[in-house]
This record gives sequence, C-alpha cells and structure tokens, in this order.
Amino acid sequence: MRGNAGAVRIGVIVLLVLLWELLARRFGNPLLVAPPSTTLVTTIALLGDPQVTQALLAALRELAIAFVIAVVAGLVIALPLGLSTFWRGALLPLVLGLYAVPQVTVLPLFVRIFGLGPPTKIAFGVTHGIFAVILTVIAAARAVDPHLLRAATSLGATRRQMIVAVVLPSLVPSLFTGMRLAMSGVLLGVLLAELYVSTTGIGFFTQAFTNAFAPAKLFGLILLLAAIAIALNELTRMAERRFSRWRENPAS
Amino acid sequence: MEGISIRGISQAFGAVGDERRVVALEDATLDIPAGELVCLIGPSGCGKSSLLDIIAGLAKPVAGSVTIDGEPVRGPLPKRVSFVFQENALFPWLTVYDNILAGLAFQGAPKDERRPRADEALTAVGLEAFRAHYPRQLSGGMKQRAQLARALALQTEILLMDEPFAALDEQTRLVLGEDLSVQLSRTRKTIVFVTHSLVEAVFLADRIAVFTARPGRIKTVLSVDEPHPRAPSFMTSPKLAELRNTLYELLHDEARKAMEMGAEV
Amino acid sequence: MQIGCVALAFVAWQTGSSSGALDPLILPAPAAVAAALGTVLRSGTVWAALGLTLAELALAFAFAAGSGLLIGFAIGRSPFAVRVFDPLLAGLYAVPTILLFPLYLLFFGIGPPSKIALGATMAFFPIVLSTIAGFAQVSRVHLAAAQSMGANAPQLFRYVMFPDAFPIVIAGLRMGLVLGFLAVLGGETLTSNGGLGHEIVTMAESLEPAKMFAYIVVAIAAASALNLLTSYAELRGRRHETA
Repeated sequence: MRGNAGAVRIGVIVLLVLLWELLARRFGNPLLVAPPSTTLVTTIALLGDPQVTQALLAALRELAIAFVIAVVAGLVIALPLGLSTFWRGALLPLVLGLYAVPQVTVLPLFVRIFGLGPPTKIAFGVTHGIFAVILTVIAAARAVDPHLLRAATSLGATRRQMIVAVVLPSLVPSLFTGMRLAMSGVLLGVLLAELYVSTTGIGFFTQAFTNAFAPAKLFGLILLLAAIAIALNELTRMAERRFSRWRENPAS
Repeated sequence: MEGISIRGISQAFGAVGDERRVVALEDATLDIPAGELVCLIGPSGCGKSSLLDIIAGLAKPVAGSVTIDGEPVRGPLPKRVSFVFQENALFPWLTVYDNILAGLAFQGAPKDERRPRADEALTAVGLEAFRAHYPRQLSGGMKQRAQLARALALQTEILLMDEPFAALDEQTRLVLGEDLSVQLSRTRKTIVFVTHSLVEAVFLADRIAVFTARPGRIKTVLSVDEPHPRAPSFMTSPKLAELRNTLYELLHDEARKAMEMGAEV
Repeated sequence: MQIGCVALAFVAWQTGSSSGALDPLILPAPAAVAAALGTVLRSGTVWAALGLTLAELALAFAFAAGSGLLIGFAIGRSPFAVRVFDPLLAGLYAVPTILLFPLYLLFFGIGPPSKIALGATMAFFPIVLSTIAGFAQVSRVHLAAAQSMGANAPQLFRYVMFPDAFPIVIAGLRMGLVLGFLAVLGGETLTSNGGLGHEIVTMAESLEPAKMFAYIVVAIAAASALNLLTSYAELRGRRHETA
C-alpha cells in the first residue's frame, strides 16, 4: 500500500508535467509561458552561462554565510535568555517585539545601511533566520525535563554541572529543529533581498528575463533556485532527523 | 428467535495472501437470548471487540452471520442496538446534554421526545448536575456514565459495551459495575459486554464466553447463576471467588500464548 | 521590569538620535517618527494604501481559503489520498513561495493582481495542509460512535468531522491570513504601483525616513490587528477545550 501511494504520486507529477506541456504548446502565449521541455533545455543552457552561474553561486555563498551567522548569533543570544530568568524577563519582550515586525517593510533600510551588494542580502537572511534559533532554543531551555533536573539535584550536581550535563544536551534536538526553521527563514530573507536589488545578482536576471519576455529562461532560473532551496531544506531536515533520534517522542 | 444469534462468524484483517493478514476470529457461534448479560473475555487480540463491532453492524465479517430477533444485521441498527465504547467516545465539543441530544438526532427520534428522553437518561446515571459540563471537565468514571446515558437515551433493547470501564481505576470500576447491575435489573436489556477483568466478568454476567488466543475461538461458556441486581456482598462471596478461579485457569494459558505471539493490538 | 527594558530601549534610541550617534537618515528619532505618523495619518494617502493592501489580502485569502479548504477536505477524507498528496504538497511548500513572484509579475504585471497571486499562493499551503491534517485526524471512535447511533452523512459532517477538524483548520486559516499579508506586503515592496509596501519603498527612496517609519508602524499595527483578530476567532472556536 505504501509503495502504491508513492507510485500514484509519481504518476500525478508526470500527469501534471504532461498537462503543462500540452496546455503550454496548445494554448500558451509564448511570450508568457514555456512548456517544460523547452524549460529543461533552457535550464541546462543557463547553467552554461557564466554570469548566471556566478549569480547563483553568489546567492549560495550568501545563504551559507547568513545561515552560519544566524545559528551562531542566535545561540549566543538564546543561551543567556534560556538559562536565566532575569535575562529572559528583561530581553524576551524586546526579541518578541522585533519578531512581530513584518521584516520585508524594513528591506529598503537594509539597502540604505548595507548597500546593494552581498552584505544586505546576508544581513536580511540573518534577521529572517535568527529568530527561529532564538525562540526554539529558549523554549527548549525552559522545557528541560524536570525529572532529569531533580535527579541531577539529588545526585548533588552544582548549577554549572547541571547546565553542562543536563541542560545543554537536552537542547541539542531543538537546536537542530531551530536550524531547520532558520534555513527556510534565511532562504526567504536572502531571496527577498536578491529579488529586491535589481541591478545585480538574481534580481537583475529575473527582471531582465521578464522584460525580455523570455519565460523559458525565467522558469529555468526559478527552477534552479527552487532546487537549491529544496536541497538546503532537505539537508537541515536530514540533520534534524539524525540528531534527534535519541528523543523518545519526536512529535513534541 | 428473540435476542442475538451469532453463527459461524470469522473475521480477518489484511488482504488474502498478504503475510501480514491477521485472522482475529474463527467460527464463533453463540446465542444470546433477550434480557441476558453475556461477557466476552479473552486475551488481547482474540477478536472479542471485533465480534462486538460485527454485532453492532460497524464491521462486516469475512464469514458467518448475525441475526437480531431473526433479522440479519447489515449495518448499524440505531433503533435496536446502542454501543458504549472503550475509549472516550463522547464528542468533546458538545456538553453532556448535547451529546445525548446528538445521539437522539442521529437515531432520528421524534423532536418532541428528545429532551424528556435525555433528561430521563441523565437522571438514570445520576449526572443531572453535570448536564452543562464538557467531557473534559468530567472524571473518567463520569465520562463513561455520560456515555452510558447517551446509549440509554436511545432506548434500544440491546446494549453493546466494549471494555467501557477499562481506563478506570479499580474502585471506580466496582462502583460503576454495581450501578450497571442495578440499571439492567430495571430495564431488562440484552447486554454484550467485553472485558479484560475476571472479577468484572463474574460480577456482571449471566454467562461468560471465554475466547482462546488468536485466532479467537469460543473455548467455553460459563454460567453465573445469580439474580440481578447483584449485591455488593456477591463481590466477596465464595461463589464469585470459585468462578473467578475457574476463569483464571481457563485464561492463563491463552494469555501467555497471546503474549508470546506479540498479540498486543 | 519588562516595561522598564522596553522603555530603556526607547530612551536609548531617543538619546542616540539627539546626540547624533544615530544617522537620522537610517534611524530617525522616535519623536520625529511620531510626528511623521501624525502627518501621514492625517494626509489620507495612508488609508488609500492600507485599503489597497487589505483589499489585495482579502482577495488572496478568499482564493486560498476557497481552494485550500475544498482540496484539503477532498484529500483529508481518504487515507490513501493523504499518502499520495500530502508529501507532494509539503514538498512544494518547502520551496520559498517568493520565487514565484517574478513569474506572477510576468503573467499579471506590476499591479495588484500579481500581489494577490503571491498572497494566495503563500496562504494556500498552510490552509490546504492543515485542512488535510484536520480531516485526516478525525477520531475513528467518534465516527464509529455517531454511525452506531445512526448518523447520516450530513450529520457525520456537522457533528463529527467539522468540529473535530475545526481547531486544526482554523489554525491553518489563521497562519494563511498572516502569511498572505506578509506576502502581499513583500510583493508590494519588491515591485508594485500601490499599497503600504509601495509607500514604504517610495519614502525610503525619497529620503523621508521618518515617514517611512511611520508607514512601517502602520504596517506593524495592521499585522498585529490581524493577529489579534484571528487569535480571538481561533479561541472562540476552541471554547470547549478551555471551558
């Protein structure tokens, strides 16, 4: 039954692609839509265009840097907030207040501060990803199994030992969950900034292809970016699965 | 005949030929005359709950037939059979009273009869004061009483109960068991009651059908010759102890067999 | 203490601005933002912009909710369909929706329709996924109980499926509305000819940071209002869990 569903799913995908091919060839305006066959050929050709590959690699680099900064900085901010009631009381409202800001509205400000190059894109990626790390780690630090804490106390652990031996290890699975969520945030932030800045990078090409009514190229570029996004998401998802295996109830 | 007649029922899950196919029940035959309380008891996975689903018309057997008052069961018969479930089957988004009214609406009871019947059922189980409560505000015992009220309001001649007290603590079970015995001495319903508890079976049943480990067959039917309502003193009587011991001997090997098959389903 | 901290942040912001430590072109003083907010609210353009943004959101949400609920219900009722389509939709959801915006610009131009399309796409996924999850988790015991009492198909839907799925579906609708708002705002910021996002970019480009922040405050207020409104609706819908 399980394999059956997988087969039907592939069938559905094939059917949709065929439908797209047929409709695009039969009724589509060639200035607006391209059939998948043409898109595939164009996508491969795009990969041979050094300017496009450079833009893609630049985006990939921005994604990687933004992700690392978001995770490290997020952890650095989250640990004191998670471990100390005082810092949590003092700073959590500020963090939540910033988190509530629809970030896309301050994108022009980022460009003003960081310019049109990679720093803007990295910074925007960081601010989109960092909250996921901060909030999941804080939540996890507050939800450390009280039985474990009681057991450690009864064994005479000091506060320091408690943090090293009980609290930090129990944060690990949540950190990986935070990293997975951070990755989708970073992707959103970097891509938003890339699309906003139309003078260089991805944004330049999407605008150029749109203005030139070259749908196959636009489809191709978007497919490549989607592939990057899926690969990065899948990577963090695999990491999360791998490192949360010892947890008894992964659902919570 | 009057009552429930079970003829050669077999039940299996999974497709024929599939190695995961499980035969839960094999060739079960049993007659339950009107007004009798029969307990089905046996190790986990012996198909006693499957049999109850089949009597209720909620599942179709792979072989055999069930007739109620001579008529074959082909689907739910809400006018003649009501069901009390093992898990909490009250609708959590409705109050106790609205749960009972919903049951009456499903059954298709005349509109002007619904409220009086719901009131009567609430009184019968002693939950008048909790009519406006939501299920999650009730204790486990009260939830099962509310479920019983919902079933009683349907005023069916047959009541099927699938381990209704399984999730409750021992003392609550005893109280609810006594209450149930009083209830049915008043209403003379035909009841089929699935349980894991030896004491519960002896205390409540007129007859006890003992099932073997999977594939479940009816091994023996024991009679408990004791009028309803059963007094609390019956619980401590030598008669109950002796019957319980007999049951224990009948079930001991089957339970071990079931466990070794890994039959916790 | 929490109020103290937020107040402290404001004081630091104001002193930083008045002492010249903060570039007023990047972060204008809170007083200047407040003044600009007053001007902007009186000018009327903000209401037109807000109105356009909310109208785009309303249409986007209507499309997303209509299709998401229908498709989700159809899939969620069949365990097999869930196994076929749920991973497919969840996989598509992993692709950042914003990538579709250049396509929508190509198809629909820079006017409101491309924002509506982006908002609808963004809102569709949480709605359809939660509708599937909601109807897939309908308790079999509740269904069996209702069937044993003779419930017919409309009664099963009204008394069992709908209320059982409701808390999850409403959470998805809420998520869809909030994400849809962000998507509409994002689309307006990227490329548009009207709406709150458009005004923010215009103010940024015409070096009016105080006004830009005033518009941002309006956007935040709108987002918070949506959030409050929908969480209230969600709470109302789950009364039996908290009563």
